[in-house]
Amino acid sequence: MPIIEVNHVTKEYQLGHITSLKENVVNSFRRLTGKPIYKREDFKALDDVSFSIEQGEVVGIIGHNGAGKSTLLKHLANISKPTKGSVIVRGSVAPLIEVGAGVNPELTGRENIYLNGAILGIPKKIIQQKLDEIIEFSELEQFIDTPVKRYSSGMTVKLGFSIATSLDADILIVDEVLAVGDLAFQRKCFDRMENLIKRQGRTVLIVGHNIRQLEQICMRMIMLDKGKIAIDGKPNEVCTKFIQQSNDKIKSQQATATNIEQSDEFELIKVELLDDIGANIEKIAYHQAFKIRVVFNLLQSIKNLVCFASIHTADFVQITANETYITPKDFAIGCHFFEMVCPSLTVLPGAYSVKLWIGTVDGQVKFVANNLVNFQVFSDDYSIARLQDLGLFQLDASWNSDSLNPEVA
Amino acid sequence: MLESQIIMIKIVKNCYNYRELIAALVWKNIVIRYKQSYLGILWAVLKPIMLMLIFTLVRSFVGIDTGNIPYPILTFAALLPWVFFQESASEGVTSVTSNASLIKKIYFPREVFPITAMVTKIVELVISFGILGAMMIYYQMMPTVYAIWVPAVIFYTMMVALGISFFGAAINVYYRDMSQALPVVLSLLMYGSPVMYPLSLVHKKLIEEQAAGHWSNDLYTLYTLNPLAGIIDSFQRVMLKGLPPDFEALYPGMVLTLVILPISYLYFKRAENWFADVI
Repeated sequence: MPIIEVNHVTKEYQLGHITSLKENVVNSFRRLTGKPIYKREDFKALDDVSFSIEQGEVVGIIGHNGAGKSTLLKHLANISKPTKGSVIVRGSVAPLIEVGAGVNPELTGRENIYLNGAILGIPKKIIQQKLDEIIEFSELEQFIDTPVKRYSSGMTVKLGFSIATSLDADILIVDEVLAVGDLAFQRKCFDRMENLIKRQGRTVLIVGHNIRQLEQICMRMIMLDKGKIAIDGKPNEVCTKFIQQSNDKIKSQQATATNIEQSDEFELIKVELLDDIGANIEKIAYHQAFKIRVVFNLLQSIKNLVCFASIHTADFVQITANETYITPKDFAIGCHFFEMVCPSLTVLPGAYSVKLWIGTVDGQVKFVANNLVNFQVFSDDYSIARLQDLGLFQLDASWNSDSLNPEVA
Repeated sequence: MLESQIIMIKIVKNCYNYRELIAALVWKNIVIRYKQSYLGILWAVLKPIMLMLIFTLVRSFVGIDTGNIPYPILTFAALLPWVFFQESASEGVTSVTSNASLIKKIYFPREVFPITAMVTKIVELVISFGILGAMMIYYQMMPTVYAIWVPAVIFYTMMVALGISFFGAAINVYYRDMSQALPVVLSLLMYGSPVMYPLSLVHKKLIEEQAAGHWSNDLYTLYTLNPLAGIIDSFQRVMLKGLPPDFEALYPGMVLTLVILPISYLYFKRAENWFADVI
């Protein structure tokens, strides 16, 4: 029997403000007299969602902002009730919807452990047994008797996470808590989650944006889109689909340059991505030749101008860096261009954008901007396409293998 | 009536099941309220004491017949259940909205909040009892065997307070007007309850002297429909007068409470489903 069953759940929210008392009275009167009532627009946060989860499954729920992930978790944790359909949960639920929800700033760390334990339904005896473990995990031994209002935000979250994960519930519901604290603590949280999942066989539901992390710990993934289940399946399939969708979305968005800094005498006219015969492109095949061409207008002549171009990911990780630093050029008033010619693109399939920096050799900035042109790298070769999101580019390397023979060695 | 008994059993059962949570929340409420104050929880009893002093002062101008019991202790014995009721109800009404962050994140039966607000007030009530005890020693009054009625009277007060809290707390989630209106209504209700004056005075005017003509008996029933009339009178009788509770004065209010409490509770449970969406 599945431990969680979600049957045709629909959740509607009404848009706009709560109806005023007057409207309520008017509406009740109209209902009584059989006239049509005023209704506000409905918004379907969840639209006929059905799935079931077996004991011990670890399920990741992904989707874009507003897809209904958090709403779904709220229904599983019994915080919200569906407008239509039903949610059946057979077992105790530990909701880590937002760690530290019950942390009170006036109380000390130790007092908060008891209070939050009670809020999460952990018996006092168990809290007392686990107190040392909780304090140790939170790394707050020194501050445990200080009021939480004097804690840093990271410390508060650490405390919240330590309490919440000490709960022995059948089902763990996690909403992006893995993004807490510094990197070292995140690592610790991640290990603890893995331990809970792999060794103790808990049923876990995780919502998150960090697809790579989710793919690692989940056995199954559900992707939501506008309140509906888009795909429900193996993590790698769902992730590939999700990343593809994200890329399409990024590509379809008009490239809006960000972080622009521009001096008065410099005017950017256009940035183009061209293939080897000079046609405009927005998709480049892996290993294909391409050019980035920057056309600009100068209102004053500038000496020793250099151009820097970089390909970056959607989250602004700069992957490549090319520049003309050693060959600066003087430009007179008028229209000019820089062109970067690349014989073979070696970044792996995915969605990317271009950053430019134009300035003088001595570091005077004339123009800087991110996100100038969005483009997508693709490959028809599955052995390349499957590497999408596993890495950003491939080394030029070959593999050898043989068995090691101890006698020869 | 059976319905309301079932509901009362349900409330008590929930209290038992969630006793650790309620205890922790009560402890939190008390610790937080007095954490940085020097006098701490003694502030809680300031209100009945101040009111007692004011009433005693007023009484010296207008003259209220209190029989053979000194006025200060009589009015303090009235203020004790009254303040408990008033504070429980007004804290109860705001208890859900003031815990919005918990409501949005974690599920447990929401009636825990109004109940917690009330239990918190019990702690303050106990301190008031200490003061009442001290006053009884001062006036050399001995509690009689009828004092065993006290727990029942307090339990009844709790039910009345919950009847208001459940309904008010649920309304307050949708319309915050409730938390503004309630203090006004309650302070008016105080004058309609035998706090400043004893119930015996009302009884004398309406029943014995028939001051309102042939309306007198109905008016008296209307007056005692206020559960606090019966509660305060009974409390004074069993604590100070050494008499059993006057059931004639208790009965109308009790009927009203038995009708209101289940409706209020069911309304709360129905509204509870949308708290997280609306709050």
